[in-house]
Amino acid sequence: MAAPARLSALAAGAVALAAVAATVAVPVAPVAWRAASPPGVAAARAEREAPSVGLGWGRLRGWEREGEGWRLVWQPAHGAWMVRAWVADGPAPIAWRLDAAPWLPGVRLSEHAARSLVGGTDGGAAREQSGRRDWAFADARLLGALPAGGRLPASERTPGPPWVVLLGGCLLAGALSRAVFPGAVSAPWRRVTVVAATFAVPALPFATALGARFFRVGVRPWIAELVGGAAAFVLLGAVAAAAVKFPAARGTPRGLAVLLAAAAGLLAGRLQPVPQLADVAGLNVRGVLWAALIVLCGWLAALGGEGLRELLRPVGPLRSTVLLVLSVAALLTAGPWLAAILGLVASAAGDRGDGPWVGTAVAWGWIVGGTLASCAWAAPLRDAVVLLLAGAAAVAVLLLRDARRTTAN
Amino acid sequence: MPVRESLLRLLALAALFAAAAAMLARGGIGGEQGAVAAARSALRGLSFDPVGDPEAVLEVDQPLAWAVERSRPGRAGVALARGETGAVRWRVRFPGGGEAVVAVGGQLLSVRRPVPAAPGPDVFPWHVQSSLQRLLPLIVDDPGRVTLFRSQSWREGGSLWLRGRFLGGSGELPVGWRREAEVELAGSTPMALRRFVHPLGTDSGVVAGRIAELRMLRRPAVLVIGIVLLGALLAGAEAVAFHQRVAFWRGVAVAGAVVALGEVGGLPRTETAAYAAVGGLAVALAPIWTALPPSRLRLGPPVGAVLWLIVAALPALITGVGGWMPESRPIPAAAAPALLLASAWLPALAEEPVLRGALPGLAGPVLGWWGGALLGAGIGAVLHPAPAVPLVASVAAELAMQAGLVRAARWGGVGAAVLARGTCEAMLWRHVYPEGAAFDRAALVGIAIGVVFLAWPRRRD
Repeated sequence: MAAPARLSALAAGAVALAAVAATVAVPVAPVAWRAASPPGVAAARAEREAPSVGLGWGRLRGWEREGEGWRLVWQPAHGAWMVRAWVADGPAPIAWRLDAAPWLPGVRLSEHAARSLVGGTDGGAAREQSGRRDWAFADARLLGALPAGGRLPASERTPGPPWVVLLGGCLLAGALSRAVFPGAVSAPWRRVTVVAATFAVPALPFATALGARFFRVGVRPWIAELVGGAAAFVLLGAVAAAAVKFPAARGTPRGLAVLLAAAAGLLAGRLQPVPQLADVAGLNVRGVLWAALIVLCGWLAALGGEGLRELLRPVGPLRSTVLLVLSVAALLTAGPWLAAILGLVASAAGDRGDGPWVGTAVAWGWIVGGTLASCAWAAPLRDAVVLLLAGAAAVAVLLLRDARRTTAN
Repeated sequence: MPVRESLLRLLALAALFAAAAAMLARGGIGGEQGAVAAARSALRGLSFDPVGDPEAVLEVDQPLAWAVERSRPGRAGVALARGETGAVRWRVRFPGGGEAVVAVGGQLLSVRRPVPAAPGPDVFPWHVQSSLQRLLPLIVDDPGRVTLFRSQSWREGGSLWLRGRFLGGSGELPVGWRREAEVELAGSTPMALRRFVHPLGTDSGVVAGRIAELRMLRRPAVLVIGIVLLGALLAGAEAVAFHQRVAFWRGVAVAGAVVALGEVGGLPRTETAAYAAVGGLAVALAPIWTALPPSRLRLGPPVGAVLWLIVAALPALITGVGGWMPESRPIPAAAAPALLLASAWLPALAEEPVLRGALPGLAGPVLGWWGGALLGAGIGAVLHPAPAVPLVASVAAELAMQAGLVRAARWGGVGAAVLARGTCEAMLWRHVYPEGAAFDRAALVGIAIGVVFLAWPRRRD
């Protein structure tokens, strides 16, 4: 008995190695928008090179990856104006834009700023219209004055309604399935999901830069940060509460399934990295957020996978075929939702108890692969490699344990 | 026990009548008749005799009104907003031609007459300034303190038209504000007079900034309501699967009432539909959450009346400690009794079952009933706050009302909270609607319900 068991363990190992090799070796076109430097470096360059127009820019409030550069937001504490800049990774000129609320105190431009905006008219008397924003110069007139600067590059958001609808539907179906057929509950998984959400909360004040789109002219930045933080807190709380109400099912992780799922996640991350991963990589608290994301996305994938499994129950033996077709379709059309769909499919492919392990492995692979593909500066690459090694060690332990069990049997 | 109960009932009735009397004494936005008289008089001043019964429409520039209130805290600010700043005004249109805008306080803000068939001879160039200045007393109280800033002329319809623009200082307005007046002539006939104010950037900025900030703060609350609805949907599906009792027809009735109110009040259909879905779902699923106290509806209106007395006193309190809060809610653009009813009872029917029913029910296993209810109060506090300085005062004022509603829900169930909210909201809204018995009746619906409940002999089991 021992020899066939050893052979089967060897075959499993070979398949796993092949999967890893395929994941790493598959030639993937380099990501055009791969960030060469962290947002802080881009911000320093913008502050150095862009015209100041006589206004204090305030603190750097947020950033997001946009095309081959960083879109950065500065705002002073009173919120009366906001400076946005797009800084390319290369030597391309900096695009900047100044927006100001027309009514807040301090919004009226200084004479120097007004002169800069109308093209630097020298000499002559300048008259500021009382209670207005207009400046009258000898040969020019600045009406309203703002906004100033140019247009910032903006890429079109990738639409994903069919895939989003599928994800939402599967999550709902999964929640219903858990409510109606609770089965054996995994208490450790329930604790881990709650702990992951709880640990992410203290990191939120250090992650406000991710909410670059929350900042608005005329709204004080602490309000925008509060709103972003509150929204994230609410979502984390909801996920934690849902993890308690619809807990993961009890099950033993199978090394091969986890390895394949991790490989799928890595491949999805490399093929379709999302710019938000680069945004997170720019934070100092990225490690905490990664850990929380891996656990919570893993649980969500398990929940959605369970829903998908139940939805596919009527097709019976054709389930594998449908899942395969779904995977191929996602690979071709899902774009940034690829990893989420693969997580769903991977969770649905196995047993109920496999779901959280497999989903977590996909999330882990996606974060590692996506970060490696989208960032080119040292700190996040170092952390991603550490995460990769930690994950690989965990999978190796699982594989070894499986091999020992097989041998023992 | 019966004596104590009778005493409490008498006290509740007294609270209802006191609140109703106070509300009626405070009244609504008046001045419609005065505005019509002022408009008629102003048109006669332009040598035009208006005919027919005019149509008077209430108009409001809410940010400007609040900016004025902020610049002069208290009743003086409200009076100024309804006075020469023109933030709250009547537009009077005569069927035979002629239109005037008159502040609620009675000051003429603008007037325009129809073009006459024979406007008279053109004004000589050297008489332009004096001709324009001669008309100033018709539109400004202190013509000596305004100066001609710019004049223009053009020829149209065979006559020479003249327009003069005058600048004035702040006058009676807060420091930094600026007044302007405009006079228009066709031939030798005065055609139009107009005056307006430019607010100081600081005053309007603070108000507009707070409005934008509060709008942004509402987003997480809406997110929570969305999540609660999702949870309620799942709980409903679970209830169906396990054959639990749901109040389906009660939910349909509430949704129907919301739709009817929305339609009668002329609210946007999407808003009405969202409210109907939210309220209907929460009410239908209410029996699932057994931790809720049973409904004692008679408690609702007295609590609402007491809440109104407290909330109506908050602006003065906040102003007294150095902050600022507007005296009233935003004035609606198109005032009608049905809109008052809808503004008050639609949020009561839709939000209370969610904030006082579904949210504590769903959060109960984790936070307990009080934890969930306080969370609901916090969410409700950022849904409809008015701008205030400091911003925390906005949320705190709303939180005071929400805390009262939590108390009402604990005492008398969600039904009592709905009645309390509707009663309180209707009385709060009353002051920003025009004077009139129809508006009073609409505002007193909750009080009337309360009186009926309290006067009705209680069934003895």
